[in-house]
Amino acid sequence: MAEEKDETRGLMKTESGRRLTQILTDDYLNLHRRASEGAFVVWVAIIVPVELFKGFDNVVFAVPESHAALSAAKGVGMLQCEKAEHDGYSMDICSYARIDIGTAMSSGKDSPTFGLPRPHLLVSDNNNCSLLVKWFDIYHREWNVPHFIIDVPFCYEMQKETDLKYIVAQFRDLIKTIETMSGQKFNIDRVKEALQNSSAAAKHYKRFIDCAVNRPSGITAFDSFVQMAPLLTSRGCPTVVEHFRKLADETEERIKNGQFPVPNEKYRLLWDSIAPWHQLRKMSSRLANLDANIVAASYTSCVGSIEGHYEFLQEYRDGDPLESLARIQNFSVCPYGMKLRFNAMSWAAQHYGIDGFVFASNRSCKVYSVMQMDLQKWITEELRIPSVMIDVDHADIRKYNEENAFLRMEALLESIDAGRTRAIT
Amino acid sequence: MESNLSKLKQQNRRLVGCFPLYPPLELLHSFGLMPVVLWDMKEQVRSLKESDRHLQSFTCSVARRLAEFVLSEEGALLDGLLIYNACDTLRNMPEIIKRGLEEKGKTLPLLKFHVPMVSPKQTDSTGYFAGRIRELIGEIENAFGVRFSSERFLVSVRLYNAIRRLSLEMETLVSEGKMSYADFSRLMRNGHFMAPENHLSALKDALKKAKSGPTKNSSDGIKIIVSGILSPPDALCAIIEESGMRVAGNDIASQARSYSYMPQEIDDPIAYYTDFFRNHHPCTTLLHSSDERLKLLNELIEKRGARGLIFIGEKFCEYEYLELPFIIKTLEQKNIATLQLEIATDDEDNVEAFRTRIEAFSELIK
Repeated sequence: MAEEKDETRGLMKTESGRRLTQILTDDYLNLHRRASEGAFVVWVAIIVPVELFKGFDNVVFAVPESHAALSAAKGVGMLQCEKAEHDGYSMDICSYARIDIGTAMSSGKDSPTFGLPRPHLLVSDNNNCSLLVKWFDIYHREWNVPHFIIDVPFCYEMQKETDLKYIVAQFRDLIKTIETMSGQKFNIDRVKEALQNSSAAAKHYKRFIDCAVNRPSGITAFDSFVQMAPLLTSRGCPTVVEHFRKLADETEERIKNGQFPVPNEKYRLLWDSIAPWHQLRKMSSRLANLDANIVAASYTSCVGSIEGHYEFLQEYRDGDPLESLARIQNFSVCPYGMKLRFNAMSWAAQHYGIDGFVFASNRSCKVYSVMQMDLQKWITEELRIPSVMIDVDHADIRKYNEENAFLRMEALLESIDAGRTRAIT
Repeated sequence: MESNLSKLKQQNRRLVGCFPLYPPLELLHSFGLMPVVLWDMKEQVRSLKESDRHLQSFTCSVARRLAEFVLSEEGALLDGLLIYNACDTLRNMPEIIKRGLEEKGKTLPLLKFHVPMVSPKQTDSTGYFAGRIRELIGEIENAFGVRFSSERFLVSVRLYNAIRRLSLEMETLVSEGKMSYADFSRLMRNGHFMAPENHLSALKDALKKAKSGPTKNSSDGIKIIVSGILSPPDALCAIIEESGMRVAGNDIASQARSYSYMPQEIDDPIAYYTDFFRNHHPCTTLLHSSDERLKLLNELIEKRGARGLIFIGEKFCEYEYLELPFIIKTLEQKNIATLQLEIATDDEDNVEAFRTRIEAFSELIK
């Protein structure tokens, strides 16, 4: 199907990309600097409301999952995984966890960010991934660091009021824990400000990913994967708002100027999984050479939303920030039940004009993947949009076979073509 | 298993399939319902034809067998399902099962409730949990047209505690070499699919026999502890004992972790289950309890004079595998030898492959 390979197609090099690199560099340098100067360091799961930490004078946070994704994207994922395996951790364990354990147990050796500063407190959150509690327990035991578990009931339906109150109570206990451990006083007004920034940043990010509505799409989902990083490393900061505002503006400008990652876009696909971090450029350019573009992903479309939706619903102006933070605990896809995920993906299929779904069955993320066989059947039958399931691992390249994956994705494109031919005749 | 369940159905018992391991059995039983814990079904569920239509091959055998059982003909015996929160795989199962049943034109009452996973030292979840128990009682009443009775609840509590007491007694007999671990393990597993009254009788009979009969287990065997989320396959238990080792204690989720804590005998289900989960024997699936696991393992090893630990790993159980390296490291620092075995879905019939390793381990700790 493909003719000449062009490595420049797909994921684009942009001004926002260069700015992103600078933001991430600054974030990790600041983290290390402030930690060395005595800041209270917290390691968090990605879904922990880091806006709470802005309520303290000198609390910094690190996100091991984000660091693991960065390590995989920079090509050191396998190396760190092997270190963890050498220490007795099974190859069947999530590759983010293995990368992080490998990095931590080798004191940051081979890490693109020189690892993460040693934490004073670990805060896990079982709604996105309950395995993460066990992963943080390792450091809790090895280093004798307290571990605070945020327990969020899984949402098979929209969040209940009782669950919201339960989550708020835990946030209050987390604040008390940090006050006691760090000796710092908490200021809720600063949390409000941080939450306003998060809300504004999510709104601009949403505007950026909505550039995929254009035909041809102004972005690939791979752009949205890469650009997620500041939402994790410096959520709540004005710099993130500014970055996403510029990102959305620049992307809209490129559309006006007729610059597209896949100019001859014939196939618009939706990706259901975490990003294949070790394949970003390779997969996007190979697809682009087939005139195919993964324009959206369930992984990133959910930003700024709440469970079961993809549209922007996280507007925050005022009010109790703890309640607002509790309400958006389930925004990411993993805490959704199948029905909610189906609702969100159906909306996205229509919104982005999706021709086909790629369900990336990810060995490392059971919470994302285990329902995919049924979800695929449901989506295909109800929406009558063809789909394919491929095997990936988000961060361990040893568990990915490019040719197998593309054999299936090319079959999906043929299936889309066949459907179009049938529609004409 | 199926024949046990069929017998119960013939007695007009309404069967409620429960997962994972520590559902509110007493509560369901007090309503006149028959709870069946859908765990450790390796002996009974052999084919995975139905399950393979819904679950990827990297899913653990617990989930695959659970799906297979509920969606196959045997599952038709069930009148309802109850799930509480567990791992990342199992939390997806209610909707997968629901869709699987719908494909077959069936529906079942599906009761879900959330057990707080926060440490009591960190957050007081008592009020929240009380609400969940009240909600669950209401849902059971609506789904099955029954009414809660505190008197009947207390009777059920006493019955299940009697089972726990006998299980502990039997574990002691195994540790003393008066009963085979393979027999004990089978009896525990079968108990999941028996009426608790029958399970209690079976335990009493087995205890009587063990106390009066000849020693089944090598009384001079080298003492070891077994640990894991599932009990070892029977053939593997036999190999352990044939290799000259005696199972002096266990940290198996469906065994010691299930029966070791005796909750207070009270007629208030909220207070009962608050105590039940807060003070439960440590288990990887009860997130706040894990810190205590190593401590209790050490105590068990010391109390029973064990010289080694055999870990029976369930392929793809990330909870267990994330805890294991630290446990092994700590035990080995105390000169307690460890052996790790991994059982995958299809391995139950191939345990002979483990014989050499088990024999070598036995030699090592002699």
